[in-house]
Amino acid sequence: MSTATDKSSSLFGYVAEFSSASELYHAAEKIRDAGFRRWDVHTPYPVHGMDHAMGLGKSWLSAVVLCGGATGSLVALFMQFFTQVTLYPTVVQNKPTNLFTIPAFFPVTFELTILLSAFATLFGLLIFIMLPRWNHPLFNSRLFSKFSDDGFIMVVEARDPKFKKEETRDFLKEIGAEGIEEVAN
Amino acid sequence: MAGLKDGDDFKDGEFFKAPSALKFLCLLIGGGGTILFLVMALFWGEKAGEMGYSWLFAVVFFLSLTVGGLFWTLLHNASNSGWGIVIRRLMENLASMIPFMLILGLPLVLTMFGFRDKLWEWFPQREAALTEARAKAEKSAPEYIQKHEKQLKEAKAALAAEKSKLASITDPSPGHRAHFDRSIAGLQSRVESIESEDMSEEAVNDKLVEKYYRKANALLAVKEGFLNPAAWNIRYLFYLLVLTAIAWILRSWSIKQDKDGDPKWLRLARRWSCGFLPFFATAWTFLVIDWLMALDYTWFSTMWGVYLFAGCALNSMGLLVIVLTLLRRAGYLKNVVTMEHYHLMGKLMLAFTIFWAYIAFSQFFLIWYANITEETKFYLTRNSDFWNVYTITFLVIGHFFIPFVVLLIQKVKKLPHVLSAVAVWNLVMHVLDIYWIIIPERGPSLTNGEKMVMPGAIVFDILAFISVAGLFGYFLLRQLGTASLFPCRDPRLDESLNVVN
Repeated sequence: MSTATDKSSSLFGYVAEFSSASELYHAAEKIRDAGFRRWDVHTPYPVHGMDHAMGLGKSWLSAVVLCGGATGSLVALFMQFFTQVTLYPTVVQNKPTNLFTIPAFFPVTFELTILLSAFATLFGLLIFIMLPRWNHPLFNSRLFSKFSDDGFIMVVEARDPKFKKEETRDFLKEIGAEGIEEVAN
Repeated sequence: MAGLKDGDDFKDGEFFKAPSALKFLCLLIGGGGTILFLVMALFWGEKAGEMGYSWLFAVVFFLSLTVGGLFWTLLHNASNSGWGIVIRRLMENLASMIPFMLILGLPLVLTMFGFRDKLWEWFPQREAALTEARAKAEKSAPEYIQKHEKQLKEAKAALAAEKSKLASITDPSPGHRAHFDRSIAGLQSRVESIESEDMSEEAVNDKLVEKYYRKANALLAVKEGFLNPAAWNIRYLFYLLVLTAIAWILRSWSIKQDKDGDPKWLRLARRWSCGFLPFFATAWTFLVIDWLMALDYTWFSTMWGVYLFAGCALNSMGLLVIVLTLLRRAGYLKNVVTMEHYHLMGKLMLAFTIFWAYIAFSQFFLIWYANITEETKFYLTRNSDFWNVYTITFLVIGHFFIPFVVLLIQKVKKLPHVLSAVAVWNLVMHVLDIYWIIIPERGPSLTNGEKMVMPGAIVFDILAFISVAGLFGYFLLRQLGTASLFPCRDPRLDESLNVVN
């Protein structure tokens, strides 16, 4: 490893504060247009349209949820149909044991679909955002902690391929950052 | 943020000018068809039964769309929503057509076309049961009076006997006396109660009529308080007045705000909508009980009102999407309505597709599983022969599975033409849903035999549908043109114009 990479690897990234939601919004558009990929914004409240300003695509989470839900309904239908119609036809309340028994299986199917969708949502999300973890470098930043109070924060990570120590700092200043803090890994 | 729209730029509103040729065509088809249909019914008495079902089907379908418009207006106001301000006027326009649709239902309520007694069998059956009960009452009145006199005489004799017994005992012990006191008091009160019975000719007659009415048709006798012609007429007036008043009041406030921009109209609408909602729900629930559930007065379902509500809310949202897309194609609302609005409406369509399926399935499931004779009748007809295939194809697959899967896709909800196509599909399924609710009742009966479907009657269904559709189109074009297409001076117009979800 060369010394240069050593230096940059010890740097997690920059935390930059902006004066308002709208400043942050425009800064996000500029960062997006500059081609950065490893960056995020943190605000005290949800800002409408920020996903467009950040250039975020549609989340893949819904695909995971669809898989979870489909698994739930298929498993529930299969288990009930196989055990109570195919394997050992069970007559309950004089109901038929054939294809027309299916309505009786709907409540369980419905419940299992919901359950596995919810699990897929929760665990899919946790995997996507790489939680749980013990700590995060950003927690060392004083400036960053303002996002839960009155700060409009942008974080640009050093592992972004476009990241260059001096130029990125200048660029952040140019697009309106009021305070910039270096965060170590 | 860049590119925000300012509500002040839109404060003049947009005014729709309906193509007069289209308007005239709608009126011609609708008015001509309606007159033709009703005249046919008047002069073709033996077909009145079959035609009544057709007319009911057409009127209920279009009425449900307008009632759905009223629901969305009320919900939008009551929940203080901001997103849909720009489409609220379309909802109000839809709702304001309720009285026209209810008046089209008047031939069903009146007796002159012969629809009423053929559709709702409880009218003739109640009449028959009452006639029978009256005849029997008249015949048995003297006997009843005789019996009453005899009872009175016997009771008096028993009382006198007991008294003389007491008198004959020279020195009764306290226990003995208490025993006699009690039995004399009992006999005394029996004499009094027999004597106090109102034995005027009228009272005797009423009592006997009620007794024999119960014997002739117990079900109708216990439902007499609800199922009688006077209450029926009053309820029709109630629906007409309540639904019309709510729709027209909200729309007039909204239009007044277009002129003076005073936020007080918005506040009024919000406050009153919360109070209007229970009346709206009551009116619609009882309307569908009266017009649809009572097609078979022996059958009942406690989920009936909400089942019909689910369909009407879903499909009037679909109709709003279609009307919006057509208006935009004609060059209106281009800058006002964005894809975000379509996305939100698409989400509501998805939600109500699921809600409809949830309610429809729950209603079926509970009745199917409990398997109680009084309740299964409805589904027995609809799960036999032709109707079974119909139910599974159109209601299970067509009304739920297909739109559900299609609407799950986010892209579909953001593309106006695709979403409109889904809305059209849903509307067709709603037609089939209403058809499925009403038309099987025309099938097997004592007079028609065991025929599931009346041959040839579908011609009447189509004629009725086209006639009412024509009038619906005419009224819609007319209402769209009477005010700005969106509430142009609503205080939250900015919010709605720039909505992001």
